Amino acid sequence: MSEETIKKGLADKGVSRRDFLKLGGLLAAAMGMQLPPLEQSGLPAALGTPARGSQIEQNILHALETKQRLPVIWLEFQDCTGCTEAVSRSVSPSLENLVLNTLTIEYHETLSAAAGYQIEQAKQDAMKKYAGQYILVVEGSIPTDNDGAYCVIGGRTAIDHLKEAAAGAAAIIAVGNCAAYGGLPKAKPNPTGAKGVWELITDKAVVNISGCPAIPEATTGTIAHFAIFGTLPELDNLNRPKTFYGKTVHDRCLRRPFYEAGKFALSFDDEGAREGYCLYKLGCKGPTPYNACATIKWDQGLSFPIQSGHPCLGCSEPNFWDGGGFYQGQSTPLDKPTVAVVGAAVGVGAALGIGTALVNQSKKKAKKGGSK
Amino acid sequence: MNQQTVLEFARGPFFYFALLFMLFGLAYRLFSVISLGWSKNRVPNKGSQAKGVFMTFLKGVLIWPFIPWVKNTFTRNPLIYIGGGLFHLSLFVVIILGTPHMLVTKSLVGVQWATLPLPIVDFMAATGIIAMLILLVNRMIHPVMKLISGPAEYLAWLFVFLPMITGYMMTHHIGGSYESLFTRHMITVDVLMIWIPLSRLSHFVFYFFSRAIHGQEFGKRGVAV
Ligand code: SF4
Ligand code: SF4
Repeated sequence: MSEETIKKGLADKGVSRRDFLKLGGLLAAAMGMQLPPLEQSGLPAALGTPARGSQIEQNILHALETKQRLPVIWLEFQDCTGCTEAVSRSVSPSLENLVLNTLTIEYHETLSAAAGYQIEQAKQDAMKKYAGQYILVVEGSIPTDNDGAYCVIGGRTAIDHLKEAAAGAAAIIAVGNCAAYGGLPKAKPNPTGAKGVWELITDKAVVNISGCPAIPEATTGTIAHFAIFGTLPELDNLNRPKTFYGKTVHDRCLRRPFYEAGKFALSFDDEGAREGYCLYKLGCKGPTPYNACATIKWDQGLSFPIQSGHPCLGCSEPNFWDGGGFYQGQSTPLDKPTVAVVGAAVGVGAALGIGTALVNQSKKKAKKGGSK
Repeated sequence: MNQQTVLEFARGPFFYFALLFMLFGLAYRLFSVISLGWSKNRVPNKGSQAKGVFMTFLKGVLIWPFIPWVKNTFTRNPLIYIGGGLFHLSLFVVIILGTPHMLVTKSLVGVQWATLPLPIVDFMAATGIIAMLILLVNRMIHPVMKLISGPAEYLAWLFVFLPMITGYMMTHHIGGSYESLFTRHMITVDVLMIWIPLSRLSHFVFYFFSRAIHGQEFGKRGVAV
C-alpha cells in the first residue's frame, strides 16, 4: 500500500489537480510556513512567509508527487484517546483528512478494525516490513512502577511495547501531554510511576506534541513535515516543534489588550466576563504555556478555551496538573501554610522574643544591683 | 529534572519555608524589643498621646512627602530623599497594586482589591530600579555614605534589587523562557523574605512601631498642671 506515491493515492480517491495544489499550500500553512505574522513572531527565520507558488510550496508539491506514503504505528498507553479524537475529528476534505491521506496507518488500537491477536500480529509484520522507515506515534504515559504492571497489552507491558517499536522507528512523536511529559497519570501522587516517552527512549529524538489534547494541526503538521522533508522540525528545549510552540498563549491571546489595560473579569458571569476582559484573575495560566491555541484554535479555527471564556490551564507544559489550582492566579504560591501553622510560627517567634527580652532585663537588673 | 521542577520548588516548599521564617523572625524581633517594657508615665500629660501617634503618621506619610523642601533632610540631601522616596513608592505600587502580587495575597488571606493597569505598574517598577541604581552609585562615591556602608548595606541592596530586576525581566520576557524568568524571580523573592528578619529590611514592619512610639512621646507635650 505505501509503495504508491501520495499524489497517486489522492488521485485514486478523486482528488483533483486543483485540490492537490491547494493541499500543498495548506500543508505549508500547517507546518507554520505561511502563517502571516511569522516574521514578527520571532520564529526561525528560515520559515519566512512564502507566497502562493513559492519555493517552499513547490518543494512540498514535488515531495507529494514523488514521496511514498509513510507507514505509521500508533501506540496507546495510559491515555484517554482524546488526542486521537482530536486528530480524527476531520470533516472531508479538511486539512486533517488530507494529511491522513499521506500516511498509511498500520497499527492503531482505536482506529483499527481488527483486534486481539490479529492486530498484534499485523503490528509485528508492519514493524518488520518497514523497519527503520515508520513513524512511531505514542499517545498516553508509560507506567514504570511494579515493573510496568499497570498497563499490559497482549500480555506485554507498555515499556516493552514502546522499546520494541522505538527500536525500528524512523521518528518518534509523543502526542499529548501524557505521552510527552506524563500528563494526568503523572499528577501527584503519581500512583503508577507514569513517565513520558522521552524519559524512557533516550537514544533517539522524541518530538513532543504536548497539550491536553494536543492541537490536531500540530500533530498532523509535524507528521506531514517528516513525511515531506524526511526530517524533524526544529524543536525547543522541551522537544516541541518551535513552529507550533514558539510563543506563549498569552503572547497571541485576543484578550491581551485587556490584560495590559488592567481590565479583568472577576467572576464567570460579571460585567467583565461579558465584555471579554482578561481572565488572569480567574486563574488564567496563559503567560506560561507555549502553545498555538490562540492562533490555530480548535474545531477548524472556530474558537479556543480563552475565547470561549475559560482560563487557560497551561496544558502544554510539564506537570501542569500540579501547577496550582486551575482557578487560582498563576503567580500564587503552590503551598500555603494553614492559619495554625502561621500562628505557631508567629507564636514561637514571639515567645522566644519575650524570653530573650526577659533574660536581657534580668541581666541588666543584676548588673545594676551589682554596681550598687 | 527540568526548569519546571525548580520552579515548583521555588513556588512551593521554598516559598512556604521563607514565608514562615519571615513571620517567625519578625515576631521574634518585634517581641524581643517590645517586651523590654516602656518607662512608666509618672505624671499626667498636657497633650493626648493618641493624637501624637495620629499626627506623626499624618505628617510622615501624607504631609512631608509632598512638601519636602521645608525639611532639612530634603534640602541637605535631595538625591537621597527623592531617590529613596520614589523607590519606596515604586515598591508600594508594584507589590500592592500589581495584579500578580495582589493575587498572591488573595490566595494567602482571601481578600482581593482593584489593581493598576500594567503600563503604570511597569513604569513604577522601572522608576524603582533606576532609583536603586542611583542610590547605589551615590552610596559608593559619596564620602560619608561610603564610610557608613558595610557589607550589610550592600547585601540588603542586592537582596531587594534582585527580585525587582527579575520581576521586570519577567514582565518583559527578557533573558530566557518564562519559566526560567519566573523561577529566578521566585527564588530571589524567597531569599529576600528570609533576609528580611535577619537585617534591617525589617524596618518595613518596625517603622510603624517606632513611629507610633515616637508619636506617643511627642504627643505628651510636657506635664499638665
Ligand atoms: S486571558 Fe490569559 S492568556 Fe489571555 S491575556 Fe489574559 S492572562 Fe493572558
Ligand atoms: S488554552 Fe491553555 S489549557 Fe487550553 S488547550 Fe490551550 S494551552 Fe491547553
